[in-house]
Amino acid sequence: MALVLHSGSGNKNAFKALIAAEYTGVKVELVKNFEMGVSNKTPEFLKMNPLGKIPVLETPDGAVFESNAIARYVARLKDNNSLCGSSLIEYGHIEQWIDFSATEVDANIARWLYPRLGFGGPHVPVLEEFAITSLKRSLGALNTHLAANTYLVGHSVTLADIVMTCNLYLGFVRILTKSFTSEFPHVERYLWTMAQKERVNAMIEDQEPFEGEELLDAKCFK
Amino acid sequence: MALVLHSGSGNKNAFKALIAAEYTGVKVELTKNFEMGVSNKTPEFLKMNPLGKIPVLETPDGAVFESNAIARYVARLKDNNSLCGSSLIEYAHIEQWIDFSATEVDANIGRWLYPRLGFVPHVPVHEEHAIASLKRSLGALNTHLASNTYLVGHSVTLADIVMTCNLYFGFVRILTKSFTSEFPHVERYLWTMVNQPNFKKVIGEVKQAESVPPVQKKAAAPKEPKAKEVKKEAPKEAPKPKVEAPEEEEAPKPKPKNALDLLPPSKMILDEWKRLYSNTKTNFREIAIKGFWDMYDPEGYSLWFCNYKYNDENTVSFVTMNKVGGFLQRMDLCRKYAFGKMLVIGSTPPFKVKGLWLFRGQDIPKFVMDEVYDMELYEWTKVDLSDEAQKERVNAMIEDQEPFEGEELLDAKCFNVRMSGKCHANDLHTIGPRFSFHPLPRAAINPQLPTPANPLSDLYSAGVFAAAADLVSRLLSI
Repeated sequence: MALVLHSGSGNKNAFKALIAAEYTGVKVELVKNFEMGVSNKTPEFLKMNPLGKIPVLETPDGAVFESNAIARYVARLKDNNSLCGSSLIEYGHIEQWIDFSATEVDANIARWLYPRLGFGGPHVPVLEEFAITSLKRSLGALNTHLAANTYLVGHSVTLADIVMTCNLYLGFVRILTKSFTSEFPHVERYLWTMAQKERVNAMIEDQEPFEGEELLDAKCFK
Repeated sequence: MALVLHSGSGNKNAFKALIAAEYTGVKVELTKNFEMGVSNKTPEFLKMNPLGKIPVLETPDGAVFESNAIARYVARLKDNNSLCGSSLIEYAHIEQWIDFSATEVDANIGRWLYPRLGFVPHVPVHEEHAIASLKRSLGALNTHLASNTYLVGHSVTLADIVMTCNLYFGFVRILTKSFTSEFPHVERYLWTMVNQPNFKKVIGEVKQAESVPPVQKKAAAPKEPKAKEVKKEAPKEAPKPKVEAPEEEEAPKPKPKNALDLLPPSKMILDEWKRLYSNTKTNFREIAIKGFWDMYDPEGYSLWFCNYKYNDENTVSFVTMNKVGGFLQRMDLCRKYAFGKMLVIGSTPPFKVKGLWLFRGQDIPKFVMDEVYDMELYEWTKVDLSDEAQKERVNAMIEDQEPFEGEELLDAKCFNVRMSGKCHANDLHTIGPRFSFHPLPRAAINPQLPTPANPLSDLYSAGVFAAAADLVSRLLSI
C-alpha cells in the first residue's frame, strides 16, 4: 500500500522523501489535487499536523510531519539500505549533515530569499546582509568538506546527500547566481553531480542556475 | 573511555547530549578549560568542525557536530533504549518533534532573543514576525501536549530531551509567565521535564525570565562569556558583527591607502565646512550657505542628490527615520571624505526620503558603493551647478528649509559633523517642537538600564544615535 505524501508538486521538501523512496524502493505517492492554503487547513489535515504545514506523510500507523523526519522514516522502511550508513559513526555523520543542511544552508537561503519573495517577514537589508554572510560561512565549511569527499558521508549517496541536495537545489535555482557559487567550487561540483543522478534528476528536472537575481527586487512582490 | 564534548558550560545545546547520556548510561564529559572564541578556532578544532561552532563530540571514530545529531548518536550508543522509540512510527515521531523543536521553537526564540542581545541588528517589525511565528508553533505544541504527557509514547524520548532544552532556554531568557500562560500544556510539560532527575542533574535550577531583555546595542566586542556560551548553531545565530571581524581573520591587514587620498590636493577643507555648518546658529543662509559656496571646490569635490527608490514603503515614521539612521551609520566609513544631509519629507505617510551629499572627488567613491549596500536603494544624480534651481535646492537641503518643495519636513539628519574635536555620527537636528522623539531615552546613555516599553526608545537604543551624553545635552539645548 502506497504511503501518501501531502504536498504541492515542486516542493523541495517533498522531494527529500520522494527521492529517498526511489532509493529504497518504497512506494510514496503525492496526494492528488492538493491546494496550498486550503487542503492544509482542513480539520482532518490539522489532526495530522497541528501546525498546518507541508509536507505531511500519511502512513497506516499515523502521520509524520517535518520533511527531514519524513525522509528518515521512508529511508528506514527498508532495512539495511545504504542511505542510513553502515556504522554508528556514519549514522552520526549523516545526522550531522542533515541538521547542518537545515540550520546552516536552508535557514540562511530562506532568510535571504523569502523576504524578497514577499513572505517570511519584511525585507530588511541589514538582516539580508547577515543572512548572506552566514550563508557564505556555511557554504565555505561545506566546500572545505567536499574538497576531500565526493559524498557527504562514506562513498555513496546517503540520506544526508538527498537532504542537502534538495536544500542546495532550491538556493541554486532561485537566488544563488553563478558568480555567487563560483566561490564554492566543490559545492557546485557536488550539487551538479547529485542533480544528474537518475533518481534525483527524475524528481527535480533540469534546472539552470539562477541568472537574474536582480529580478527578485522586493518591490516587485509588494 | 569517556566521550569528550567540546563546549562551554551552561550551553543548552550541550545539555541535549549530556542528558541523553544520563539516560543511556554513556559517559560523556565536557572538555576542560574551554574558551569560547579561542578553543573553537584552533586548526585542530576546525578539523573536527570546519564551521567552528559548538558543541562538537569527539569520539574514537571521529568527531560529530550539530547538537541534535550528537544527541542522536549518544542515544544510540546503547542498543534498545527507550529514548529512540520502540517502533518505526515512534522513531519517525521522535524525529518529527526533534526537527520541530529546531525549526519552530529554537529558530523563533533565537530570532526574538539574539537581536536583543546585540548579536544581530534589532528590527522591530522582524521581531514581531518572530513572536507571531513562535506563538503559532507553541500553539501547535500546546494542542499536542493537551492530550499527551510526553511528545511520543508514554515515557521520555530523545524528542523530549531536545524539546526541553530548547524550551528551557526560551523560558529562562525571554519567555515570561504572561507570555507562556497562553500555552498551559507547554508550561506543564516544561516544568515536569526539567524536574526529572536526569534533567535536573544537568540543567540545575530553572528560573523563568521575569522580563524580556532590553535591546542591547550591537556589542562592540562580544567576548562576554555568558552570551557567547548560549550562542548555538541556531539558524539565527549572528554571523558576528563587522566589529568582531579582526578575531576571525588570520592577521590584521595593513589599512590600504584610500584612493581619495591620492587625488590632487583641494583648496576646500571638509572639516572647515563642517565646523562652519555646526557653529552657525543664526543667519544661517548669510553665513553658512555663503561660506559653503566660498569654500566649495568643484574640481576637488562633487555634490549629489539622492532619492530613495522605495518611498511607498515608508509608511511608519519612526521606521523610516530608523532606516535613514542606519544608512548614516553605515556611511561612517567615509566620514573623512563626505558630508551629507538626509531629509524625511511629508506630514503623512508615505514619507519621502531625499538627500544631499558632498563627496571628495568627482564620483561617488567606489569604496562607498561597494561597502554601503544602502547606496543602491537610492537614485543618485550629480548636481549641475550651472542650473540655478539645482543650486538653490542644495541650499535648501543644507539649511533644512521648510516647507521643502512644498511639504513639511518630518526629520533632517546630518551626516557626521565634527564638533569641538568629537565625532558625532547621525547628529540629529531638531527643526521644531513638532518632533515627537524628544527626549532621548535613557538607554542611549546607559544601555544597562532597562528601557521603558516605548517602541521609539527600542529603535533608537538599537544604535541610531551615538550614545554620548554630550550629544544629549546638545540636543536638549537646541
